[in-house]
Amino acid sequence: MAVVGGGPGGSFFSYFLLRMAETVGIEIEIDIYEPRHFTHCGPAGCNHCGGIVSESLVQVLATEGINLPTSVVQRGIDSYVLHMDVGTVRIDTPLQEKRIAAVFRGNGPRDAEAQSESFDRYLQGLAEEKGARVVRKLVSDLAWVDDKPSLTHADGPGAIYDLVAVGVGINSNLLRRLQTSRIGYQPPKTAMTYICEFQLDPETIHHYLGTSMHVFLLDLPRLEFAALIPKGDVVTMCLLGDDIDTELVECFLNSAEVRECFPPDLEPLPKVCNCSPLINVAAAEQPFSDRIVFLGDSGVTRLYKDGIGAAYRTAKAAAVTAVFQGIAADDFRKHFWPVCRKISADNSIGKFVFAFNQLFQKKRFSRRAILRMTAKEQVSDAATRHMSRVLWDLFTGSAPYREVLRNTMRPGFMVHLAWNLMLGMVPRLWRVPGDTR
Amino acid sequence: MPSKPPMRPKQFEQLPPCRANCPSGTDIRGWMTTIAQRKRIGLSDEEAYAAAWRKIVAVNPFPAVMGRVCPHPCESGCNRLEKDGAVAVNQLERFIGDWALERGLQHELLESEPQPESIGVIGAGPAGLSFAYQMARRGYSVTVYERYPKPGGMLRYGIPVYRLPEDILDAEIRRIVDLGVKLKLDTRIGRDVTAKELQARHQVVFLGIGAHKGLQLRVPGEAGPGVWTGTDYLSRINQGERMHLGKRVAVIGGGDTAIDAARAARRGGSEVTLLYRRTRREMPAIDSEIEEALQEGIQLEYLAAPVEILRGDDDLLRSLVVQRMRLGDPDESGRRRPIPIEGSEYEIPVDGVVAAISQQPDWDGLDHLQPHEDGDWVRADDRGQVNHQFWAGGDVLNLGIASAAIYHGRLAAESAHGRLRGQPTPDLHRPDPIETTPAKVDYYSEKARVTPRQLPVEDWLANPEAEIHQAVTEEQFQEEVGRCLSCGQCFGCEHCWMYCAHGCFARLDEIGPGAYFSLALEKCQACGKCIDVCPCGFLQVQATERPA
Repeated sequence: MAVVGGGPGGSFFSYFLLRMAETVGIEIEIDIYEPRHFTHCGPAGCNHCGGIVSESLVQVLATEGINLPTSVVQRGIDSYVLHMDVGTVRIDTPLQEKRIAAVFRGNGPRDAEAQSESFDRYLQGLAEEKGARVVRKLVSDLAWVDDKPSLTHADGPGAIYDLVAVGVGINSNLLRRLQTSRIGYQPPKTAMTYICEFQLDPETIHHYLGTSMHVFLLDLPRLEFAALIPKGDVVTMCLLGDDIDTELVECFLNSAEVRECFPPDLEPLPKVCNCSPLINVAAAEQPFSDRIVFLGDSGVTRLYKDGIGAAYRTAKAAAVTAVFQGIAADDFRKHFWPVCRKISADNSIGKFVFAFNQLFQKKRFSRRAILRMTAKEQVSDAATRHMSRVLWDLFTGSAPYREVLRNTMRPGFMVHLAWNLMLGMVPRLWRVPGDTR
Repeated sequence: MPSKPPMRPKQFEQLPPCRANCPSGTDIRGWMTTIAQRKRIGLSDEEAYAAAWRKIVAVNPFPAVMGRVCPHPCESGCNRLEKDGAVAVNQLERFIGDWALERGLQHELLESEPQPESIGVIGAGPAGLSFAYQMARRGYSVTVYERYPKPGGMLRYGIPVYRLPEDILDAEIRRIVDLGVKLKLDTRIGRDVTAKELQARHQVVFLGIGAHKGLQLRVPGEAGPGVWTGTDYLSRINQGERMHLGKRVAVIGGGDTAIDAARAARRGGSEVTLLYRRTRREMPAIDSEIEEALQEGIQLEYLAAPVEILRGDDDLLRSLVVQRMRLGDPDESGRRRPIPIEGSEYEIPVDGVVAAISQQPDWDGLDHLQPHEDGDWVRADDRGQVNHQFWAGGDVLNLGIASAAIYHGRLAAESAHGRLRGQPTPDLHRPDPIETTPAKVDYYSEKARVTPRQLPVEDWLANPEAEIHQAVTEEQFQEEVGRCLSCGQCFGCEHCWMYCAHGCFARLDEIGPGAYFSLALEKCQACGKCIDVCPCGFLQVQATERPA
């Protein structure tokens, strides 16, 4: 079997497939095609995302026996700080434990001096330990030889396989080339995001950002989500939304809320690396066919959040199908597609939740309501933290969107929100407990 | 840590280190990638080989010869060196050279119209023949005057046949003669033709007499039988003379001539000791040649210099008095200077001595042409021009390897042609070569350097005329050509095209080395990923801002 792409999707697929094959006594050979080296700094060795491994994924991986080594975790994240023009509030992890991991997908930003342990490299190593072979070649097309897929490289046709699992992410042009009538695959719809990294000394980062991920709800058009993530000596900035351009990036960076997260005399910000990766905003059509299956971002992923979690789930489903059911289109339809469909359906709810969230961001009084409600909850006992829970799940990607929505439908949440919305309209009551500003 | 500027790419072809280090300036990357990429650009094996050969002979008409004798400085700068060994350029050049000889490929004229001027060349060595070849290709009528009975200069009289078989040299010279070059062999200036006649006969004269006069040791006892200079000794052997220097021979020197002379004496049945005043590290000879000399049983004495030759009553050699040296501070050549150790003298018994310490031009009979009365070396401008009529090149300018002499010949031809035709002379500027980082080299899969077959060591002395090194097979040749990293020139790896998420790169319809993708920056986000993942360094950071 061939796996195209040595990111989380490809590595998880290879790892689970080989592990399960071993258990049931099937001999399978896997070639992972990945020309890039995660030991390289900057975009060349990176897979373009903020590098947050969600709480739920950390737990699930642990139950699979995959415990992220401390060298891979650049910083343990124990809280979120929500920044709005009306104030700032800190949300601690519901379980009071550092459970979210900030990682480097590659080897850190361009020209990084220290060698960092790459998350993707770690996963690839797991697959290699199970017996997968990493082939340092770029796959630029796929051909069919007697109904079997064969990989094409720049210098000509390559090997023929029984099954090809495509885990090339959303930023590879291979997806466009696989859009053939033969397999009926349509690549996902995309939006352009923006990620950059600032290099600062670790003490400064700790002073300004602590061990929190900083999330911004600002009234900027086209901006759905913005975050600053502290890692070793680097701060990663992620902007998600509707085609983030230079103008929007400037606007965001110049906002008072963002400037507060950096030393005041720092001008310009020490940006060392930037990219504008695409993200998957609507699932691929038919991400499987006979002898081919699409993992993670190449097929179906979670909207905005937890792409690694989606890679894990789709990759495992594909591996289970291949080992126990078969590699025909029908096998994938029955046993792989339902997992994708579930993620897809949840994304529809996610879109609604984000739209709702946008609506709240637009009005000052509603922003105040969110702030007040959260802040109050943070100083009260855990059982009644309605808004905190919703925001936590929304920002960390720890829970499915349907669960987020369900939590907002609880009577407790509704009543508290209504109360705070009312208070939000009364300027006298703006001051809230726990406001760190 | 300051903020990094935006990283917008530009496609920028750069000078690879192999070409930068090649004294002849051969487009090594150009001919190798033509073969490596032959299938993609739609060339058959034969078409690709022929195209590669044409690229080589554009600057060097001796690929089969140089593929055997060149110390290949091209390989020492190869960006592959640290990874898994430099590309075996020398072996590959030899294969292509031999292939072209087998196929009977002929040189092509650059100009179809003959030029009116007549050109004279003194000396049929690598410089003179290179000059003659380049002038003949440009339509000039060229006559080469050679003092020896056969052409080739040091290639013939200075290099032993086990390194360069005569038929190979003959065939590559024949091809130059076939362009219409007239060879006047056994012709001495001053005896068979006067310098005046020469100047009257030819509008341009090229001086390529080389440096055939071996320097003497200047020690007591040197004059008399049994002492030879390296050039004289090798020249006699290569002319077919049977030379036996005696049972025990000492060769003095550390260059290629010394090694060649030592190995020749060993083939003559002598026990040979090679004395060098510095250490192995400073020896200018090709390292593999030194290694082979050791395998043939030649003794190497480092930090040893002769101070006197002792003769018996019959005037025959008895022994050599040798003084021990130590290394001092580096001299102007960068090598550490040998300093004699007083009182360290000792004697070694010898029957013959070969002094191969250095050589200089031999002006015997050429007094009228000797440009300076005070010196032996010709002074010329950086294109080899001495005066309005004379150009010069090769060892007569300064001692160098054959590749440099071939370069001198070409440069002088380009300069003389430009002067005669009123065209601009060549631009000598060479940009800095691209040095790729280890990270870039990671993108290429590991592949060991080819090891060509060679005769078993025990056959070397038994079969003194047999060529020691065998050619690589065609299969090895194709594999090895594929190891070229194509430094600084696009080879169509498709990384940029595949990894740019914004569609800045597009495949070209007409492809070839250096041209696989077009680049449009309208949608560029300046992340620089394409630059980072470009293995050969063809994509570089563009200094300018976003296009309007």
